[in-house]
Amino acid sequence: MTLEQYKPCGTLDHGIGRRQFMGEFLTGLGAVAGTSLFSHPLGATEIAQKNKSVVVIYLNGGISQFESWDPKSDLETGGPFKSIPTTVPGIHISELLPYTAKQIHHMALVRSISTDLDDHGLANNIVRSGRTTRTATEYPELGAVVAKGLERDDFPLPGHIRTMVGGSGGRTNNAAYLGPRYASVSVGAEKGGIVNTQLPDGMTVTADNRRHDWRRFINNRHRAKVQSTELDAYTQCFEQALRLMEKRELFDIAHESKAIQEAYGTSEFGKQLLLARRLVEQEVPFVEISHDGWDFHHNNFEFHYHYVADFDRPFAHFVDDLHQRGLLERTLVIVMTEFGRTPKINAGYGRDHYPNAWSIAMAGCGIQHGAVIGKTDAKGIEVADRKVDHRHLFHTYLQAVGIDSSGEFEIGGRKFPIADPAYGPIEELLA
Amino acid sequence: MNDTTPSPPTAPGKFDPKAAKQISDWAHDAKLLCCRVDPTGKYVVAGAIDYTIQRWEIATGNKTPLVGHENWVRMLGFSPDGSTLYSGAYDGRMIAWDITAQSPKPQRTIQTHQGWLRGLAVSHDGQRIATCGNDMLVKIWSTADGKLIQEMQGHPYLPYCVQFVPGSYDLVSGDIMGLVIQWSAEGGTKVREFDAREIANHVGDRAPFGGIVNMTFSPDKKRLTVTGLHKCSNAPAGNRRAVAMSFDWASGEKLPKQECNQKEIDATMWRAVYHPSGTMIGVIEKEIGFWEGGNIDTMHLAATPEHIFDCDLHPNQIDLYTAHFDGHVRCLRCGTV
Repeated sequence: MTLEQYKPCGTLDHGIGRRQFMGEFLTGLGAVAGTSLFSHPLGATEIAQKNKSVVVIYLNGGISQFESWDPKSDLETGGPFKSIPTTVPGIHISELLPYTAKQIHHMALVRSISTDLDDHGLANNIVRSGRTTRTATEYPELGAVVAKGLERDDFPLPGHIRTMVGGSGGRTNNAAYLGPRYASVSVGAEKGGIVNTQLPDGMTVTADNRRHDWRRFINNRHRAKVQSTELDAYTQCFEQALRLMEKRELFDIAHESKAIQEAYGTSEFGKQLLLARRLVEQEVPFVEISHDGWDFHHNNFEFHYHYVADFDRPFAHFVDDLHQRGLLERTLVIVMTEFGRTPKINAGYGRDHYPNAWSIAMAGCGIQHGAVIGKTDAKGIEVADRKVDHRHLFHTYLQAVGIDSSGEFEIGGRKFPIADPAYGPIEELLA
Repeated sequence: MNDTTPSPPTAPGKFDPKAAKQISDWAHDAKLLCCRVDPTGKYVVAGAIDYTIQRWEIATGNKTPLVGHENWVRMLGFSPDGSTLYSGAYDGRMIAWDITAQSPKPQRTIQTHQGWLRGLAVSHDGQRIATCGNDMLVKIWSTADGKLIQEMQGHPYLPYCVQFVPGSYDLVSGDIMGLVIQWSAEGGTKVREFDAREIANHVGDRAPFGGIVNMTFSPDKKRLTVTGLHKCSNAPAGNRRAVAMSFDWASGEKLPKQECNQKEIDATMWRAVYHPSGTMIGVIEKEIGFWEGGNIDTMHLAATPEHIFDCDLHPNQIDLYTAHFDGHVRCLRCGTV
């Protein structure tokens, strides 16, 4: 068997390419989705040509809505920070976000999220999966769903990438029944791209190719006799690693000009955003950046003073850069977190976990720019209007990039709703 | 409300921390961040997160609000004669008040810093005020006309507090990463630095934590004491220990750190003051700690009902007033009068 004869098996992606997948849920599931077939005038192929991407900026630990998207200045619950006007008349955000305030015309805010879990792990799970897990079923995270929904034919890169600084962290099991093909791959933004992707000293390209040919030959000979999802997973990992090696320079932000690097800043977060922009340019369906450590039970205001500043300028530049390059038209940016923080200020001048009334922000494609969905009461204690939760948001994210969230995955003969079928998107937020 | 009114002592008494007991408890309806007792002993004032300053007349417990700031009131200081109160707030402003007035109004308001004003100190003769703030600057102001006398920059991180060297216009400023700078009164030049980085932490590449939150000199002027936190195991959760770190003023040599080992308390030492006897008094969450003669551990802990963010000694040197998270100002009588 030669390399040309080698045809990777599609077992793990269950034989559904992106176009087929899109076609299925836009046509075959049209009846299930009611008018969804007709509400999307574009065919699956046309949607695929839009080459949309989703970038999630995950503020791990729970950013305070008061110190970000829903300030309550001059009230005891509001803390010491003031609100400032933005580029959209009538929308004010925290003074800690002066640069982001200049990009609000590309953004939308949801200020009326109410969930019921205040544990980091559980809350993290529900906001990422769009489900409230009460059964043994594990659900794929947003990244996996988007990677499958926006899968490109012959796309050389993983569809679900998590960025990190200074190295490569392998894969994470967050694709559930969609399989490891759609699980996240962690990549670095420095040190010449992804670490350990250059051939070791003494290994020639020819010799490397020969050993891979041999591996493929052995795999396929075995595969002809035995159906093995494990083998398929290993094969896929090898092939993906090879493709990443070929593309490793893509992950090296040092290839950007000094001016561009300076504009994004020298922080870990800025570097990851620059890498995310490079990946969006390559039409990677889903990129996640994690900005960790927002769990400020103590010293909330001092920490937000520093943390939000670390977020603000690079984030605002990222949005502007995507816009300037025409990428924001096909990229949905989500600033996600697992819950908000308490209106009550505790004795350590911290805020504790608060799922009752909190906020997120979005920017880019598929959403109404300058929209504010819902509101909290005067002190930010309860949702006063248009209560939504993680399930509505999950539908909304998918719809914003052209994935019909009312559709289903068909996995091994079983049908799995793409998003919680009892819920739907925030219609007024969609463009 | 637990309002009680103490009898002000009329003559110097005997300082005895182990006999400390609460003698007054006055309430405000917003959290308090700072307090000071005026040098005549007539008033105690406290800064609150409702942007007000509350003045209590010690003899009667009568409360009067001082309204003028537009953000949390973080620092207070009196002129040596007790006639003028200077307040600093997160609105970046310093306000001078005639504290003897029946209903004090702002006499002079100065926009001292861009962003929060964090530190404020009054010189020994009341002629100068030092401030520091989020614009990374340390500034000296004339109390006569409110004009800026000197502006110093040199802290690589946020300066948190300032203090005049006793009997001098020389100044020390301490920052969030534990650097203390001594500035010359003449020209505002840097004289020397003290390294107190042991009481500062850094969380990732994003946020400094801890640092120097208060500075004071010992009564014999031989020690500069800075306070804050150390042994931080989880900054966002607030796992840390209160600490005071002193330097021999003449040589700059570090002296043994003072902490509370008799009880494990997650705390920052927001404030320490010296009793004329040389005993250091520091706040440790809900407790008041007393350290004798530079000893590394407390000789006594006096409990209070709530978290304390500031304290000040009455001129009688026996009564210690504390500003609490629950909005109360309490008085702990530390001995007999």
